[in-house]
Amino acid sequence: MTIEPQGGCDATKHPSAAQRGWDGLVRAAAQGVAAMSRSIGAGAGMSAPGVVIDRLDPGFVQRRGRTLSATTTLVSGTNGKTTTAAMLVAILEAAGRRVLTNGSGANLFRGVAASLATARGEDAAVFEVDEAALPRVAGAIEPQVLVLTNVFRDQLDRFAEPELVARLLSESARVLPEGSRIVANADDPLLWNAVEDLEPTGFGVRLSGSARSSRRHDADPEICPRCGGAVRYRRRTFGHLGACECTACGWASSDPAFLVDVIEDDRIDRLHLSIEGLTCELAVGGTHNAYNAAAAVAAASFLGIPPSTSIDALASFVPKFGRAERLSFDDRALWVLLAKNPVSCSTATRQVLSDPRIRAVVILVNDHVADGRDVSWIWDAGLEAFVGVDVPILAGGSRADDVALRFRYAGGAVEVVDPDIESLLRKLRAITKPSEDIAVLATYTAMLELRRALLGSRRAQVSDTTPEGPGRLVDGVHR
Amino acid sequence: MTDLVIAHLYPDLLRTYGDRGNVVALSRRAEWRGFSVRVEEVCLGEPLPPDANIVLLGGGTDNVQSIIGRDVASRAVEVRAAVARGAVVLGICGGYQLLGRSYVLPDGGVVQGLGVLDVETRASRDRLVGRVRGDATLWGRSFELVGFENHGGRTTVGPAAEPLAHVPRRHGNNGRDHGEGASQGGVLGTYLHGPVLAINPELTDAILARALVTLTGGEELEPLDEILERRAHDGMARRARDDRRPARRRRFAVAGIMAVVVVATLGAPEAFERREDGDSGGRLGFGSLVHEVHVERSGLTDVR
Repeated sequence: MTIEPQGGCDATKHPSAAQRGWDGLVRAAAQGVAAMSRSIGAGAGMSAPGVVIDRLDPGFVQRRGRTLSATTTLVSGTNGKTTTAAMLVAILEAAGRRVLTNGSGANLFRGVAASLATARGEDAAVFEVDEAALPRVAGAIEPQVLVLTNVFRDQLDRFAEPELVARLLSESARVLPEGSRIVANADDPLLWNAVEDLEPTGFGVRLSGSARSSRRHDADPEICPRCGGAVRYRRRTFGHLGACECTACGWASSDPAFLVDVIEDDRIDRLHLSIEGLTCELAVGGTHNAYNAAAAVAAASFLGIPPSTSIDALASFVPKFGRAERLSFDDRALWVLLAKNPVSCSTATRQVLSDPRIRAVVILVNDHVADGRDVSWIWDAGLEAFVGVDVPILAGGSRADDVALRFRYAGGAVEVVDPDIESLLRKLRAITKPSEDIAVLATYTAMLELRRALLGSRRAQVSDTTPEGPGRLVDGVHR
Repeated sequence: MTDLVIAHLYPDLLRTYGDRGNVVALSRRAEWRGFSVRVEEVCLGEPLPPDANIVLLGGGTDNVQSIIGRDVASRAVEVRAAVARGAVVLGICGGYQLLGRSYVLPDGGVVQGLGVLDVETRASRDRLVGRVRGDATLWGRSFELVGFENHGGRTTVGPAAEPLAHVPRRHGNNGRDHGEGASQGGVLGTYLHGPVLAINPELTDAILARALVTLTGGEELEPLDEILERRAHDGMARRARDDRRPARRRRFAVAGIMAVVVVATLGAPEAFERREDGDSGGRLGFGSLVHEVHVERSGLTDVR
């Protein structure tokens, strides 16, 4: 039921006056709905207008998107979409470009549609796109660059299996027009194998110095993506990421064109890297952010920005929206780390434990649709690393009880269990002192709730938008 | 000599859904009662420890299960031997399917299972996903069983086995007969995650009591403090019970708000029916808008 744009390809790049008029009408309708949606407090006004645009005019995204095609980047994958997109935006803006981008919650087709409706003559666009929405968005927008971050177990009630997600990303990469570039994580065997034949540009990470690799239960099975045989790693970072080769069929990871060395990674808000022989200190810690930086630098190189310029821009990048974001809470510093699946939870755990400033840890687990309703994954995350560490643990969110149970069976205990985040914050205040640093690991909607509790609903949404519930996987994928 | 030996089969491959939590739940609940425990991880090609009292298989993705299929066939003898000497064998989700006689693939091909549980599974396009609450009967015990199911296969329980639980208004084994899981002597399977043994201490203790029977002489296991287990269990039970009605109410509320917003903003929808392309896809029809909202809010895997 999609309306094909009238006329050929040229018509989509150079819309007629009538077409522009109609687009103006659609945008006006969308903005009206956005204003209504905000005024009734339904959200930040990205979802509802997107739905309206999609219903009024399914060809809108295709027409508007293609006017920006030459400078558009889509970022998709399980983890790192928001931060990679934000880093790329920072790089482009530092290079003097005006960038259109969507917020992390608005990453379905309708979120991209709503974002396009707000376009005001920007000369570049960066959209993070939900894995399930990617085939449709990529087909409509035809981006210049597609960045694929990784594929991990995530929201299994929705995505079922990582293999299906890898196939989804690969199918999306196949609809890109000639001349567009794919930037993919060469350290993710499942993902790399799925897109390898499209000759993507790879990025990867090597640990050195104080940064250590680890092997835990958060990893997906270590099997060859091609034949299912056992793989042997020659370089490894976390989860199943690294360079490996199959002992059975000989399949091997490719050497990444953009390899980032992690020199030091010992604080939530600091990461010392070297990219292309140039060193850089990021204001956000964690090996996963080395991947995000590598992806952003690689993508920028296809948008005309050399790595040296990108690296300078990254040095002043400030993380936001629950990705090692610093919020203040009654004179205390609250470091908010998104922990939405086993690997991101383990990564956040390591990040927190590496930072000696942390005096308390809050773990917020919700089981709303956008978090994934099955929270069994907390048993695969490396949370037992907190046991025996002398900081109080507080459990919150709708599944606070499950977090408490998880710690009991890990041989530890949580200090406070309270599903209500506001009342949990009051208890947190009672057991911490002003000027102390506190880490918060939160699932997606719990992170939103926390930001609302701390910033008030209006400010909480300034840098982002409300979450959209997950959409359907495209037909034929969910088997 | 160790009191309890838990063999965790394919821990590196069948670990998609927090299944490690089941091993932890068994180990801790035995240790807290003073039994010594050893966990043996058994990977592809490695032998099952001959002294295993509990054999556990977790769930994996279809791809991983097809890899394991090759190895499973070669284990039938040792798993049957374990069952014969009184070990408890537990399969979760994919592991449950592997314990059965066979798994029928979408293309009609048949993968042989271990054949220690009289069940047969057929692959299906739609997945059965959701929170489950049911009434379980196992080895003379009755208890409430809760968990999260997420499976594509449809399992039919044969005459030699019996369903583990009755799950009214839930999908369970096949979405038809309200059965969930199966047991046959010391062999049992379930589709439930949670992890199931972490949030169902009665099931965990039933398995431990049977596996440790030579040490306890059939005496009941010492009761444990179960406040946290109860709360997690009851939370899941409440969610399973509440799942249907409020979700529907919420969907209607969302659809209603959307309709009001659209009317207030756009005025009469007729204004948009005069588009020249005449394609109904571009028209703003209330029915279709409401439908769309329903679909998007209901989540893609609410298969009923």
